[in-house]
Amino acid sequence: MTEQPILEVKHLQHIYMKGTPLEHHALSGVSLKINKGECIAVIGHTGSGKSTLIQHVNGLMRPQSGEVVVDGMNLSDPKLDIRLLRRKVGLVFQNPEDQIFEKIIGDDIAYGPFKMGLPIKEVRDRVKWAMEVVGLSFDEMKDRATYALSGGQKRKVALAGVLALRPDILVLDEPTAGLDPRSRNELLEKLKTLNEQEKITIIFVSHNMEEVAYLAGRIYVLADGRNLVEGTPEEVFGEADTLKKHHIGAPDTVEILGQLKAKGFAVRPNAYQLEEAAKEIIAVLRQDGR
Amino acid sequence: MEKGLTTRKIVTAGVLGAIAILLGVTRLGFIPVPTAAGNATIMHVPAIIGGVMQGPFVGLVIGLIFGVSSFLDATIPLFKDPLVAIVPRLFIGVTAYLAYRSLKGVNEITAIGVAGFIGAITNTLLVLLIAVIRGYIAPGVAVTIALTNGIPEAIVSVIITLAIVVAWKKLDHGTNKKSKISGEL
Amino acid sequence: MKKIAGFEFELTRNITIGQYVPTGSIIHRMDPRIKLASFTLLVISMAVCATYGGNLLALVLSCLLFYVSRIPISYGLSGVKPAIPFILILAILQLLFYSEVASGGKVLLNYGFIHITTDSIRLVVVSALRFVEIIFLSSVLTLSTSTTQITHGIESLLRPLRTVKFPVHEFALIITIALRFVPTFALEMEKMMKAQASRGAEFGTGAWWRIVQRTKDVFPIIIPLFNVAMSRAEDLVLAMESRCYVPGSQRSVSKKYKAYRTDYAALIFCIVFAIVLLAFPFPY
Repeated sequence: MTEQPILEVKHLQHIYMKGTPLEHHALSGVSLKINKGECIAVIGHTGSGKSTLIQHVNGLMRPQSGEVVVDGMNLSDPKLDIRLLRRKVGLVFQNPEDQIFEKIIGDDIAYGPFKMGLPIKEVRDRVKWAMEVVGLSFDEMKDRATYALSGGQKRKVALAGVLALRPDILVLDEPTAGLDPRSRNELLEKLKTLNEQEKITIIFVSHNMEEVAYLAGRIYVLADGRNLVEGTPEEVFGEADTLKKHHIGAPDTVEILGQLKAKGFAVRPNAYQLEEAAKEIIAVLRQDGR
Repeated sequence: MEKGLTTRKIVTAGVLGAIAILLGVTRLGFIPVPTAAGNATIMHVPAIIGGVMQGPFVGLVIGLIFGVSSFLDATIPLFKDPLVAIVPRLFIGVTAYLAYRSLKGVNEITAIGVAGFIGAITNTLLVLLIAVIRGYIAPGVAVTIALTNGIPEAIVSVIITLAIVVAWKKLDHGTNKKSKISGEL
Repeated sequence: MKKIAGFEFELTRNITIGQYVPTGSIIHRMDPRIKLASFTLLVISMAVCATYGGNLLALVLSCLLFYVSRIPISYGLSGVKPAIPFILILAILQLLFYSEVASGGKVLLNYGFIHITTDSIRLVVVSALRFVEIIFLSSVLTLSTSTTQITHGIESLLRPLRTVKFPVHEFALIITIALRFVPTFALEMEKMMKAQASRGAEFGTGAWWRIVQRTKDVFPIIIPLFNVAMSRAEDLVLAMESRCYVPGSQRSVSKKYKAYRTDYAALIFCIVFAIVLLAFPFPY
C-alpha cells in the first residue's frame, strides 16, 4: 500500500520503574500500522500492555525504545509540539465520567476547546457538534447540571468533551465498561457512526468480544507486551486455539458456530456478526427440519 | 450534623486524611501563586473541609494525619520538629468548624468561605508562632511570611473550599446558572 | 510547578508510603506498641535537646539503629539529601540576619549588620543535627514496621485514653482507612492528570498575580479527586453498615501482640536515653 499510515508503532518497548527491584516490562516490542479511517480493536489479557500502548499514542508517554509516528509526527522528537499532537489524538480513559469537573454540561465539554484558545463561537459550534454526535440535545442539555446525570449520560458528556477537540484519531480504553446494556449498545452505535460518517479513525481497547465483533475492522491481540495475532475479525477469531491459550475468549457467536461445526453441522465458523451467525443457525435448523 | 461518631464521620475522616497525605507527597498540593515560598500549599484544605462537613473531631483527626505526614515527609528542617509540624495542624479543622458554625445562620456560603479563610490562617499563624517560640525564625521574619505567604494561601484556600463544599452540599442548585457558551453570540 | 508536558506523570507510581524493608532484624520483630512508644520518646527528647553533646550522641544512636535493623543507611541519606540546600540557606540566613533570635552567648563577629554569636552558631548546628537524627529515626521506624502494625500500635498505646471517652478504636480505623486509600487515590490522580492533559489542561497559566485564575487551573484535577474520594466513602459507609459495623461497640481483635523481655529492655534503654538527652549537663 502506498498510503501513509496515520499511526505507526514500531517495536515499542516500555519498562516501568526501570532499574529498580520493582521493574516491570509492560511492552516488549509491539508494532501497529493503522490507516486513516480504520476501526481497530486492541485486545489482550489484563497486564498485556494495552493501556501503556494507548498512552503512547497521544504523548502521555514517550517511547523508551522503538518508534511511534502519528500522522508524520515522531514522538521521539524532543521538539515535538505536544499540544498539536493532542488535538490530533483524542484519548478517552476508562470511566471517563470521573473527569467531569464543571457544574454545567456545556462548560465541561467546552473545557478542551477553550484551552485551545478558540473563539467562543467556534467553541460553541464544536460543543454543539460533539453533543449531537453522542446523542445529547444541545439546546436541552447544555445548561443542565452535571451531577444529576445517569452513568450512561455522564459517559456521553465525557466522550463529547474529548470529541470537541475534533481529533482525527479517537482512542478509547474500555469504552463500555460498567455501562448498562442499553447505554452500551447506544454508545457502540455512536462510535460506529463516528467512524463511518465522521471518518474518525478509532482505536479501542476492549475485553468484550461481542463489541469487538460489532465494531472492529481489524484486531490486534497483545500478550505479555508483544503482538500475538492480528488481522480481520474472521482471521483472528479463526485462531481460536492460540487465543484460548492466552485466556482470550472469542465472541459467543464464534464459540457456538465452532461447536456446531465440531458436531458435524455445515456452518461457516467465522460468521461472527450476530445476524450472520443467526442466519447460519437458522439454515441448520431448516435443514434439520426437512 | 449527627451527634456522636458515626460510620460516615469515620470514613470521611479516613478518605480526606488520605487526600491530605497525597497532596503532601505530590506536586498537586502546591499552587503556583506568588508567595515567599513560590507557591501556596493546599494541604490543609482536607482538614478544613472535614471540619466544615463533619465537625471538629473529624477536622482534628485529618489535621493530625496531615501533620504527621508532613513531619515524616519534611525536607525543611523546620518541619522535622514535631511541635512545628504536628501541633498547629490539629487546630485547622477545629477553627474552620467554629467559624462555619457561628456564621452558618447568616449565610451558608459565606460561612464556608470564611471557614476556608480561618482554617488557612490558623495553619500559617500557629506554625509561625511555634517556629518563633522554638527559635527557628525571628519574629520580624515571621510577620513578613505571614503577610506574603499567609494571605495568598488563605485566598487559595477559600476558593477551593468553596468549590468543593458548595458542590457537595448542593447549595448552588436552583441558581439557574447558564453555561458559558449559552446565549446569543 | 512544572507545566504538564507528558513526562512527569509517573510520579504518583513512585510514592513510597509505608514502604517496608523486610530484613527480619530485632527491630523488625519488636512489639509495635513498644516500638512506637520508644520512637515517640526519642523524637520528643531529640526535638527538645539543644546541646552539642546531646545531639551528637543522638546522631550516633540513630546511625546505630540502621546498623541494628540491617536497613541500608542509604534510605536515611536519601531523605537528608534534598534538604541540604535548605539547611545551608537556613544556616546562612540565621547566621547573618536573624541574630536577634539567638543573641546570647559570646560575640564572635560583629561587622555591620552581621552579628555572629556562639548561640547563633549553636542554633544552626543543633537544628541541622536534629533534622538528620529525626529523619534517620523516622526512616528506621517506617521501614521496619508495616502500616498495619503501626495502626495496631497506635490503637493499643492510646487505649488508656478511653477512660476520658476518646474513641481510640475509631481513631485507629480512620488511620487505617487513610493509609489504605492513599495508593488508590494516587492512581486516580494520575489518571485524572493524564485525562485532563489530553484535553489540553495546563497549570500556572495567566499572569503570576492572578491567584484566582491559577487556583482554578487545578480544578480539573482537584475537584474530581475529591468527588472520587467522596463516592468511595459512600460505598464504604454502605459496606460497613451492611456488615453491622456500629461505632463504639466492643470488638474482638484478630491479632494479639506480646511484648518480650527484649522489648522491655529496649523501652527502658530509650527512657534512660531520653532522660540523658534532657537532663544530663553536657559540657557543650
